[in-house]
Amino acid sequence: MTKDNSGVLHLGIDLGTSRSAVAASSGARHVVDSYVGWPVDMVARKILKREVLFGREALDNRPMLELHRPLERGLIKEGSAKDERAVRELLAHLISLAGPQQGQRVFAVVGVPAEALRVSRQHLRNAVKGIADSLMIVSEPFAVAYGLDTLLHSLIIDIGAGTTDFCVMNGHYPTEEEQRTLLNAGDAVDDQLMTLLRTRFPDAQLTIHTVRQWKEKYSFVGEPARPVIVTAPVSGKPTTLDITNEVRRACESLVPPIVETMLDLISRADPDYQDKLRHNIILAGGGSQIAGLAEALMAALAEVGGGRVLAVEDPVFAGANGSLAIAREAPEADWERLQS
Amino acid sequence: MTGRPGDSRERDRLRRTLVEAAVDDNLALIAGRRPTGEPRRRHPRFWVTWVLVVCVAALLTATVGPFSIGRTAGARAEGALPEAEPDLSLPPRALTPLPRAIAPAVFDLRIRRIVVDPGHGGDDPGARSQGGLAEKEVTLDIARRLEKLLTGSGFEVVMTRESDVFVSLRDRVLLANRAGGDLFLSIHVNSIPQPLRRGVETYYLGPTDDPHVEQLAGAENSASGYTLADFRTLLEQVFADVRSDESRRLAGAVQNTLYAALRRANPHLEDRGVKRAPFAVLIGTEMPSVLAEVSCVSHSDEAELLRQSAYRDRIAHALAAGVFDYAAPHGAPLLVAAPAPAPSDGPGERSHQ
Repeated sequence: MTKDNSGVLHLGIDLGTSRSAVAASSGARHVVDSYVGWPVDMVARKILKREVLFGREALDNRPMLELHRPLERGLIKEGSAKDERAVRELLAHLISLAGPQQGQRVFAVVGVPAEALRVSRQHLRNAVKGIADSLMIVSEPFAVAYGLDTLLHSLIIDIGAGTTDFCVMNGHYPTEEEQRTLLNAGDAVDDQLMTLLRTRFPDAQLTIHTVRQWKEKYSFVGEPARPVIVTAPVSGKPTTLDITNEVRRACESLVPPIVETMLDLISRADPDYQDKLRHNIILAGGGSQIAGLAEALMAALAEVGGGRVLAVEDPVFAGANGSLAIAREAPEADWERLQS
Repeated sequence: MTGRPGDSRERDRLRRTLVEAAVDDNLALIAGRRPTGEPRRRHPRFWVTWVLVVCVAALLTATVGPFSIGRTAGARAEGALPEAEPDLSLPPRALTPLPRAIAPAVFDLRIRRIVVDPGHGGDDPGARSQGGLAEKEVTLDIARRLEKLLTGSGFEVVMTRESDVFVSLRDRVLLANRAGGDLFLSIHVNSIPQPLRRGVETYYLGPTDDPHVEQLAGAENSASGYTLADFRTLLEQVFADVRSDESRRLAGAVQNTLYAALRRANPHLEDRGVKRAPFAVLIGTEMPSVLAEVSCVSHSDEAELLRQSAYRDRIAHALAAGVFDYAAPHGAPLLVAAPAPAPSDGPGERSHQ
């Protein structure tokens, strides 16, 4: 079903709260942290020699920038022109990273957090208008399901930074009732970990960026495989801290709401297919990499007849790959219709 | 991966159909129409929710008791106290269909106005220590201290009572809702039947099957001013409550800071965790709401600590820190400063009784 049309570059883009990724039909794949920053004044502009910075570079130069994370909590803030502009800049940057050839048309599918699609649809569409020759917006868990070809009796749990999105795939385009969004996601874990660490180590000098990096490196639920030992300045002196319990507590705060929502969605499915659904649960997004999370969810499923939870193999590109698959399989006529 | 349609033609057809649906959805958006997709289906088992609501009504009716009768410490002191567990468990019937919550991120939720609710007051003294220290006096004093801290950090504070007067729970709820509070923080002092138990716990709205919590809810709900008919309406909000996630987060933040701050002065303090309970003030309020049991007046050491101004200050600082931690990601007022360090651990001055 895929087309080999060198006059068109198909793109799949995962526009995430924390990271955004692009996969192109040319084979290019890139990921950037979802930060967009504009120099705060003329001096900063002269030093940075750029009108706008992205990703890690923006984060590293944040004192000189007006920094935006445009999909904070999974949404474009209503009425926030800066956030719309940030989405636009970020998408344009991702497209440029994919490297379209001169004269090549760009057809892009953009996967966004499900809540953004529900709430900020028009804002998103306005933000992305004109940056590609034709463009389609889909919900991220749907893109993941499409890319993995798990379109029947499956439940996608996409644990991002701003939101955790649930999507039941029943062989049709998911309805609102088949999707859920929780705010219990990566950012909430970061906040909680920060609070716990500040409480236990009141003199440690911590930033949310450092705490987030520790979480991404060491996150786990259940029994720790090994102690989590980090180094941080305490009253200016580099000090070794054992943060095993704090990491565990922060990560485990995700489990009850995810379990509750997962079981609820399963209970609402056709009874004839609930067993299949329970055995076909896919964890995606950065949160899918929390060690022991799939096992914790399976332990909860064991109480209602058992089930199987798998984490995607490539959480960074699972959404972008799915969006690319949609882009490649959409008929050209449809792309023409979507150009307005 | 499983979940793939078996036949490849069937698979291709399904993928085509889904892509068409996604295209239609986007075309509808471009045309300014409602998104495509199946119409909302009425769930065939909606009656389960109804039955659940009725069950909870029955539970509360049994638990809350006559609303107009004032509470005494003795009312709580009956019955065995189960081990307090943090709220990491599933609700009693996790498979119960829950109405879909609206994510608070839908709105630009800035936290500006905090409703502080000192428990009890006037003819309703709340729990009493053996030495006669009344819950109503402690909660009001802590609430006043908290008010100063929050106001000094740029929040607006609305107090449900400013003096030793009786305010029904219904009126507290009405006041909070009319004031347009962004958060509701109810301050209470616990009384546990076993005199050797002590600790802090924080509640948000939800059902419970813990007999101690049921007793406590019954006690705190006394003098609510609600009729059973009111409760019937309020109960329908229990499971459809869009604030649940936020209240849970707020409760977690408050519990963390409370426990961390108080255990320094009270090393044997128990972390009794974040719990759910059907307190009337939590049901009726329209903003994220929690009820903090900031100490146990039934424990002689804690009752003594509660007489100390320094310990009350510590509690107020901890509650403020919990609010700050919760509010920070919501875009709290820019002038919010970190709370001042809690007072030193030494014995504090005795508060005015």
